Amino acid sequence: MFFKLALKNVTKSIKDYTVYFLTMTFGVCLFYMFNSIDSQTTMMQLSAVQSDSIKMLSQTIAYVSVFISVILGFLIVYANQFLIKRRKKELGIYMTLGMEKGKISRIVILETFLIGVFSLAVGLLVGIFAAQGLSVLTAKMFEVNLKAFQFTFSLQAFYKTLLYFSIIFLIVMIFNTVSISKLKLIDLLTAGKKNESLKIKRLWISVILFLVSVACLGTAYYLIIQNGMLMINSQFTTSIILGCIGTLLFFLSLSGFLLRVVQSNKRLYFKNMNMFILRQINSKINTTFVSMSVICIMLLITIGTLSTGMGLSSALTKGVKDNTPYDISFGYVYHEDDTRKQIKDLAQKMMDDKIDLNRYAKEYTQVTAYTSNITFGDLITDASLLPQSISSMSEIKKYAVTAIPLSEYNNALKMQGQPTLTLKENEFSVNCNFAQMQPVINSFLSNNGKLNLNGKALVSAEKTVQGSTYQTSMTAQDTVALIVPDALTKGLVRDQEILNMNYKVGVNEQEFVQQLQTVYNKEAINSEQIFRPYDWYYTKIKIYEQSTGLKTMVSYLAIYIGLVFLITSAAVLALQQLSEASDNAERYGLLKKLGAEESMVNHALFSQIAIYFFLPLSLAIIHSIVGIKVANNVVSLLGGLDILGNTIFTAAIFLVIYGGYFLATYFGSKSMIRQNRN
Amino acid sequence: MQTILTVSNIEKYYGNKGNMTKAVDNISFEVDKGEFIGIMGASGSGKTTLLNCISTIDSATAGHIFIDGMDITQLNSKKLSKFRREQLGFIFQDFNLLDTLTAYENIALALTIIKTPAGEIDVRVRHVAKELEIEDVLKKYPYQMSGGQKQRVACARAIVTGPALILADEPTGALDSKSSRMLLESFEKLNNNLSATILMVTHDAFTASYCHRILFIKDGKVFNELVRGEDTRKQFFNKIIEVVTLLGGDNSNVL
Repeated sequence: MFFKLALKNVTKSIKDYTVYFLTMTFGVCLFYMFNSIDSQTTMMQLSAVQSDSIKMLSQTIAYVSVFISVILGFLIVYANQFLIKRRKKELGIYMTLGMEKGKISRIVILETFLIGVFSLAVGLLVGIFAAQGLSVLTAKMFEVNLKAFQFTFSLQAFYKTLLYFSIIFLIVMIFNTVSISKLKLIDLLTAGKKNESLKIKRLWISVILFLVSVACLGTAYYLIIQNGMLMINSQFTTSIILGCIGTLLFFLSLSGFLLRVVQSNKRLYFKNMNMFILRQINSKINTTFVSMSVICIMLLITIGTLSTGMGLSSALTKGVKDNTPYDISFGYVYHEDDTRKQIKDLAQKMMDDKIDLNRYAKEYTQVTAYTSNITFGDLITDASLLPQSISSMSEIKKYAVTAIPLSEYNNALKMQGQPTLTLKENEFSVNCNFAQMQPVINSFLSNNGKLNLNGKALVSAEKTVQGSTYQTSMTAQDTVALIVPDALTKGLVRDQEILNMNYKVGVNEQEFVQQLQTVYNKEAINSEQIFRPYDWYYTKIKIYEQSTGLKTMVSYLAIYIGLVFLITSAAVLALQQLSEASDNAERYGLLKKLGAEESMVNHALFSQIAIYFFLPLSLAIIHSIVGIKVANNVVSLLGGLDILGNTIFTAAIFLVIYGGYFLATYFGSKSMIRQNRN
Repeated sequence: MQTILTVSNIEKYYGNKGNMTKAVDNISFEVDKGEFIGIMGASGSGKTTLLNCISTIDSATAGHIFIDGMDITQLNSKKLSKFRREQLGFIFQDFNLLDTLTAYENIALALTIIKTPAGEIDVRVRHVAKELEIEDVLKKYPYQMSGGQKQRVACARAIVTGPALILADEPTGALDSKSSRMLLESFEKLNNNLSATILMVTHDAFTASYCHRILFIKDGKVFNELVRGEDTRKQFFNKIIEVVTLLGGDNSNVL
């Protein structure tokens, strides 16, 4: 009997549940898809680095999934509370008929269970198929070939999804039972009639609150722009807290005084359905401003994650080709307190240590960087051009600039097949491949261009910097290096040695690296039996593999988190509007009876839903313009940034998903209203 | 006297050939401008169906209805809603006020629907509120008002647009006798002062006794017609009771 009632309720209110059901299904689907990445790699040919990346990716996703499940849990609990509220009258009728609260709870639990099982099943099914598509995408991101396509199914991810969502549903059931046990019959029967009234009655208070909120937001923006995102300090925290308070106050005061401002302008207030629309929004004002603020912040996170995540991932791979001109680069740094010998020739030392360089290397060349008496401060004529990431380092101006002898620099360029540089005896040039630093140096070269190196006056050979890369590394990190005639480096202190090498055709890098590791093994180095002529090395292949791994991770995380936040906030809005639609249906029906045209009624409905959907979005966009600007400062450290592309990508996702939810809500409400009329 | 409403040979059938119900069966009558006319009948006699046909909420199966010279049975849906908002005012049994709007706004809404210039709205709302003695509830929401106040607000909403015809469907149905009396006195006042034409459907003899003329309907047909003429309300009431008794129902409504 109760099962029948529950089943009938579900099928009857299917329209209310559609959005909820679809969102749940989508959530489950995403959850399974991303958690099953581990198993999808069975059909890929992966190197050690790549499988490490995948392992890291799936681990990170596992952690993030806990957070994601909390968010989805919130959505589900919230949605259920909403659906219960919406059915107050129905539950009230059960109670007047003498049904006990326990039994009502059981009906509601059964309904939740039915919906849960159904959406879990469908979500998993869709997820299993969608995961196949994801694995093709993963293979493409890692630039590996698929051995042969095979259908993969991750039992682990399957169980994990089941477990997480079962827990969520269990919590939902507890919440539902509690909220039903608290219901009062009188409230159930008269629910929905009363308007919520805002606590702030006076206009001037709302005006002041509005100004305070704008001030809060302005301060938050200012602080975050000043501070940047890299340093998490009190300034950063203050900015976030002020931002949240500002947002809350903004919606609190906005809904309060928007009504009054429009009310005072009779021409606007009495135009078309404006009065009706405003009152519609005002009637749920307390619920509205909290939910709008929360949704605004969630949308901000979505926009932020999607666009900067994508920006980060494209920046990570964009520079890779430029940053890896050689197959392998070794680096060795002399420390001030270093007692180690001055190794002048790294390659010679390796060969002395019985490393078969001639077998592996086609060509190699060494670059020595010397410490000069010139500091960064000498090269900065216009401090305002400094990128924020650098100007925030207070000591930077005292750092010594390195100098590189011309012949070694030219050798390094020759190996890349690039044109070489010629300098006169009293000339110097500057190499800098760190894009943000280039304008600073260019300004120095064109305005002043004179230096004094150890008592010798030099003038710059050119008005602009050289943007070459003379070692293989992860990022373009050569902030400034002076290129000077060889004779001038005599007597300078050696700072760093770099050995660049290209392999012979057909050389297996693995073999070479293996040999290095055998000779310079950890124990031998620790016991100082042997001396390693390098502190680090980067190889082109590894950098490629790592960067694709990182790129995949960043973009997957961005999509995963971004999508879940997006569907959650859109679903909350849609549910709010749809569940109100039944109350609204009577009102809109009455408008019809009073002779309002169909188009007028539809327009009012459209405006109402549009305000709910796009007010939080607008503020979120303003927030994210600031946020993304700040984030881009960080991302651009890594290299080029495609702001337009990421914005278009984010906008497209929003248009499809958020717009889709909006339209679904509009048409759903419209059909409910039409149904009610007939 | 100008004729405002002409109902000629109206029929409304429900069901199909095998199982036909004639809710309204060939009814014809006329209403003059400034008249206060009542339609009485027992439950199921077809009076609400008739009202729905006149109010364009429902369409008649056969026959014609002219309001202010226009045949409303021939209008399309767009013209109907234009006609409805410009020529008709409605008063419902259950008030049908919007609970999100204050009394003032509920009345103003009817004006904004017909796109009245903003400057004019305030004047007209205040004028009609004064007429119906609801000035002190204008700022209240429907759930803060008594039933009688709500119905007078609904009444204000119906007449504020200056309709050719006011249609009231059991307006006192949800009111106690004191509130009913106040509402009906308001109707009389509107009828006398603003010469509003009112067509009221009721099954209550007391309510009906405020009318100038009453049509009695039984089984979808006009059964009788009663004109108040020079009678006092008490005398008219007694006459109504006689007809009602003759009709064979509603004895319980004797005061």
